[in-house]
Amino acid sequence: MTDAAAQPSAAPAHGSLAGASNRLRQRRRAQTRLKAYGIAAIAFALLALATLVGSVVVKATGALTNTHFTYEMTLSTEALGVTPESPPEEILRAPYGDLIDEALEARFPLATGRTARREVDALVSNGAQFQLAQHVVENPELLGQSVTYPLIASDRTDYYFQGGYGDLLTPEVAGRLTVTGSEDGTLDIRSSEEDFAEALQTVKQSLYGDADRLREQAARQQNAVRVYGERAAAAETEEAREAQLERQAQAEAKRDDLLAEAEALEERAAADAGTEPLDAENISLLIEAGGGWIKMTEVNRSGGEGVALTEVDLPIETSADWRFRTTTLPEGSRRVSDRQIAWLETLKAEGAVERDFNTRFFTAADSRAPELAGIRGALVGSFWTMMVTFALAFPIGVLAAIYLEEFAPKNRFTNFIEVNINNLAAVPSIVYGLLGLAVFINVFGVPRSAPLAGGLVLTLMTLPTIIIAARAAIKAVPPSIREAALGVGASKMQASFHHVLPLAMPGILTGTIIGMAQALGETAPLIMIGMVAFIVETPSGITDSATVLPVQIFRWYDFPEPGFEARAAAAICVLLTFLIAMNALAIFLRKRFERRW
Amino acid sequence: MSLTLFTVVALIALAAYFMSRRKAVLIAGGRSGVLHSRPVFHGLYSLLWVALTGIGALVVSSVIGDWLVDRVLLARIAAAQPDMAPLQQQLLLSDAKAIAEGRMSSRSGVLRDQIADAYAWMSALRNWVVIALSIGGAAVAAWITHGRVAPAWWARNRAERILRNILLAMATVAILTTIGIVLSLIFETVRFFGMIDWRIDKFILGTTWSPLSGVFEGQMDADTVGAVPLFAGTLLITAIAMLVAVPVGLFSAIYLSDFASSRVRATVKPLLEILAGVPTVVYGFFAAITLAPALRDFGELIGVRIASESALAAGLTMGIMIIPFISSLSDDVINAVPQSLRDGSLAVGATEAETMRIVILPAALPGIVSAVILGVSRAIGETMIVVMAAGQGANLTANPLEAVTTVTVQIVALITGDTEASTAAGPAFTLGFTLFVMTLVMNILAQRLVRRFREAYD
Amino acid sequence: MYDTSKTADSATEQMSTKFHCADVQVFYGETHAIKDVNVDIQDKTVTAFIGPSGCGKSTFLRCLNRMNDTIDVARVQGTILLDGEDVYDARVDPVQLRAKVGMVFQKPNPFPKSIYENVAYGPKIHGMARNKADLDVIVERALRRAALWDEVKDRLDASGTGLSGGQQQRLCIARAVATEPEVLLMDEPASALDPIATSQIEELIDELRQNYAVVIVTHSMQQAARVSQKTAFFHLGNLVEYDDTSKIFTNPEDPRTESYITGRIG
Repeated sequence: MTDAAAQPSAAPAHGSLAGASNRLRQRRRAQTRLKAYGIAAIAFALLALATLVGSVVVKATGALTNTHFTYEMTLSTEALGVTPESPPEEILRAPYGDLIDEALEARFPLATGRTARREVDALVSNGAQFQLAQHVVENPELLGQSVTYPLIASDRTDYYFQGGYGDLLTPEVAGRLTVTGSEDGTLDIRSSEEDFAEALQTVKQSLYGDADRLREQAARQQNAVRVYGERAAAAETEEAREAQLERQAQAEAKRDDLLAEAEALEERAAADAGTEPLDAENISLLIEAGGGWIKMTEVNRSGGEGVALTEVDLPIETSADWRFRTTTLPEGSRRVSDRQIAWLETLKAEGAVERDFNTRFFTAADSRAPELAGIRGALVGSFWTMMVTFALAFPIGVLAAIYLEEFAPKNRFTNFIEVNINNLAAVPSIVYGLLGLAVFINVFGVPRSAPLAGGLVLTLMTLPTIIIAARAAIKAVPPSIREAALGVGASKMQASFHHVLPLAMPGILTGTIIGMAQALGETAPLIMIGMVAFIVETPSGITDSATVLPVQIFRWYDFPEPGFEARAAAAICVLLTFLIAMNALAIFLRKRFERRW
Repeated sequence: MSLTLFTVVALIALAAYFMSRRKAVLIAGGRSGVLHSRPVFHGLYSLLWVALTGIGALVVSSVIGDWLVDRVLLARIAAAQPDMAPLQQQLLLSDAKAIAEGRMSSRSGVLRDQIADAYAWMSALRNWVVIALSIGGAAVAAWITHGRVAPAWWARNRAERILRNILLAMATVAILTTIGIVLSLIFETVRFFGMIDWRIDKFILGTTWSPLSGVFEGQMDADTVGAVPLFAGTLLITAIAMLVAVPVGLFSAIYLSDFASSRVRATVKPLLEILAGVPTVVYGFFAAITLAPALRDFGELIGVRIASESALAAGLTMGIMIIPFISSLSDDVINAVPQSLRDGSLAVGATEAETMRIVILPAALPGIVSAVILGVSRAIGETMIVVMAAGQGANLTANPLEAVTTVTVQIVALITGDTEASTAAGPAFTLGFTLFVMTLVMNILAQRLVRRFREAYD
Repeated sequence: MYDTSKTADSATEQMSTKFHCADVQVFYGETHAIKDVNVDIQDKTVTAFIGPSGCGKSTFLRCLNRMNDTIDVARVQGTILLDGEDVYDARVDPVQLRAKVGMVFQKPNPFPKSIYENVAYGPKIHGMARNKADLDVIVERALRRAALWDEVKDRLDASGTGLSGGQQQRLCIARAVATEPEVLLMDEPASALDPIATSQIEELIDELRQNYAVVIVTHSMQQAARVSQKTAFFHLGNLVEYDDTSKIFTNPEDPRTESYITGRIG
């Protein structure tokens, strides 16, 4: 302190404790800000978690149910070419697929022609015939009889009933319906009230969209007109100028045509009345009447023209018994046609459609068809892979940890092992996949795609986790325990295995379970060693070709069928359930046996 | 066959255990203090030796036998068909083996049948030799160790020394794994560099990545193996991920460690741990099926074209994945800063925020930096998210709205693609080696930093 | 609860009373750590808190500058007035309180920063200096008061953690006095130090008495006798006896105090 006069005058205003200065308020605000950032960060993370889980669960609901058809059909011995006395393998190979298809086609006689028949056949899954064949082999007395066997529906059917292709609405109608047929199959539709006015408006709305597109084209032509005009002005020869002007005139004409067309469309759209044709870009207008389904091809306020999709009893005279049905998606944007909707709704009305819980998802292995695909194969594959991993990683990990904690001399070699373990814990998993491919498969000849190969790779991957956890658990056992054991004349080995290891076991198990949970969710290294192949058989051992749950998810996610996406999401739910169960077990073990020394 | 033989050896070992133990019991005759080691150790000593000898003989003789059989048969094939390429000879041999074992072979022929016959009797011979050696070895070991049972025989010390060496062997698995990784990666990397005439500069600096176009016999075009677009894509996605993960993770950690009530902490920490336990394939699914379409639609709404495999979707998802990683590591180091420093700061009238900003964070900085480095290392090596949500085409761009590809995506594409494995392995393993080296350097750096931090406060 | 008018009166009567504590209770979760403590702490005096370990003397000390706020489960009841103002009033910001009531801890806890930064930390966050020159003056004055200036004036940029234990503790005292507090709380400030450093700290405490009210918790009765003018004896969470130091050590009224100073409980 050189000079008393230089003493800073700004000693803190220690006046009253309660009076907050500006500066203090500012400092408090800074504190509030920091807290707000923290809360925002946590909210973000939790929101991300909720979105992640929520979106998966929502997508998984699509795989919850399966659809079955339960219509009656005759297992005709002529059509199948087998009798109850035929040998089972012949019964198995009989053409059930044709039988199923024909039964359905017979139900809808209007479905003539290849396309229509194919559309009918597409309602039922390809797998139905194999299930039926198996059923008949087990009950050969059914041959020649009329049966009702639940036939699994196709992915498309299932997705339709889930509402994946939009909803089928039933607008209110007030009038009585008259439908008359004509020579060419067109039906004339009339209602005594203006029941179609609203639908007509919806259809007309799309005209505005068409008009907008035309106007955009016209604007491009206008641009061309301007460009040609500029070029003509800049032209060096008369000839060139003429040519540019001619093009300009053409563009002008085109522009005017387009604008006129757009105006006409808008006028049509603005007008109350009039008749509009319907195409695949419009929503579909369907009528349920006379015991069948009619699709409208033209609509005005009180009627229009249409065609029959299923058999309709004609003529319909001023009937009050009819329903108007509209789709929310145009036919062009869904994979199920109007015809198929009519068939499916007819079958449903007859009670021939059943929707039930998708048990197949848990009992079947993979398939090319989403409605047949299940996770059993992948679950069993994961089970074998985990068995191999546990059988190798647990003993090796525990023994290595005991050595490092209890016996290893402190020298460079031990240090080197430690550094290695720490680094291995952070090596990307895909590198372990490359190691497995190069060493286990190419050098040691372990079968590709087998749980044995996967288990070996995952063993190496989880070892660092287990060793690190086991060492921590062993280290936590106080030295007094060892000294007590050594003091009564136990060898070091006995002290370790009889006293230290049992006390460290809960911690070791916790670490092992967490390591196994990691291994269960691991995908990349298993893809490297070929576990990504399409495998229909459920593996029965560690050398069979197999896939595992996460890889199954990876395979399914990029198929275009919505059914596979739903199944991938459902498989994720199963995987997450397992992981949560394992982690809960780990937490339970930790809580139950945790000992503070 | 090996499994049966293995069981037989195990049974012999068990038998030896009981015999030696019984002999020791008889010698002791119920008196204590006669034997140096208790009978059970005499049994254990026998068991260990018998098992080690038997299994050792089994493994060694099997491997040598296989090698010998292959050599003899290949020599025969070479004698019969001197002009045949080595690869063809190998194929012929594996066909012959298939025929001998009654499996399907790719082709048949007279030579294949001859070799198959030869293989049949040679492998039978090999099997007998293996059986004789392993059972014989086990029996000899049993006889010798049984003979050694005596009052003054230090069986316990001997047995424990064997056990100790077994423990040591288990601990060296870690070293073997590292050696395995390095060797398998280096082998293919060297081969690959050989194929591009050691133009390593073209690999590291080239900007065109299309390694499998125009490949012919043992040669690759050095101009199409430029990995820069891959590195750039990896970097771009990693940068996006860290932009999400570092602030969110760090602020969460700050809040949870010093501001949250213990109840909030007890609720939020396990939830964040769930985020850490979600498998990467689930994140990939989320990125590809939920986030990417949502981003694309949002882009359309505001008039920006966002690719459906944009770097943004993959990066954001990866960021979410790394949040718990950063937050738990940072939480650890922030908590490891001693309470006395907090007390010291609070006692002069600092707010908690000032204490955090001016005292705690600077002290915890090495640990936090190390957490970030580990996060980057994880992001670089992450595979499933980018395989499912990022692009395949090697596109050199810094625009996060476009599709880019990464090192890991290309490894997966090369290995699972339909190109012949031996050709695709070169670039794939070289990329793997690059990845391994990058992450290794980062891990070592992170460990150094964290050690420095620990030394300061432990 | 207390009657405001009455306590305000008593505060004006005793001008030299710094802290007036009435019926103070502290709970740690279920544990009742401090029971009904009533004590008045005088300005420009060294007050020593003594008692066996776990008697609550440190806990009570930490109530005076609300350091107990940082512990989730701790609850404080009763009245603690600093110059007539309730320090547990909802309108009181503990941050401001702690600038006024400095604290030195059992174990030296310098920040891992330079000596200068350690001392300048408090003045900086409280905005006590307008510029670098002001700050230099404050730092020098604080270091001089802590009797550390001559030892460190040539290496102010060296790390505070590099000093010896006694120097570190004096640095912490400098850090505490740099904010110009009115009271200095010391929680066993010499227990982690060797005898030479201890005697230096004790001398320092005696000098600090000129400017501050000093409250010191100590487990050493000799130290209490050497440095303090007033002594409070705590036992099992109760304030057993509070009087002039000379009286406590020569003629205690309570038998428990006598047992303690003669070494029968401890």
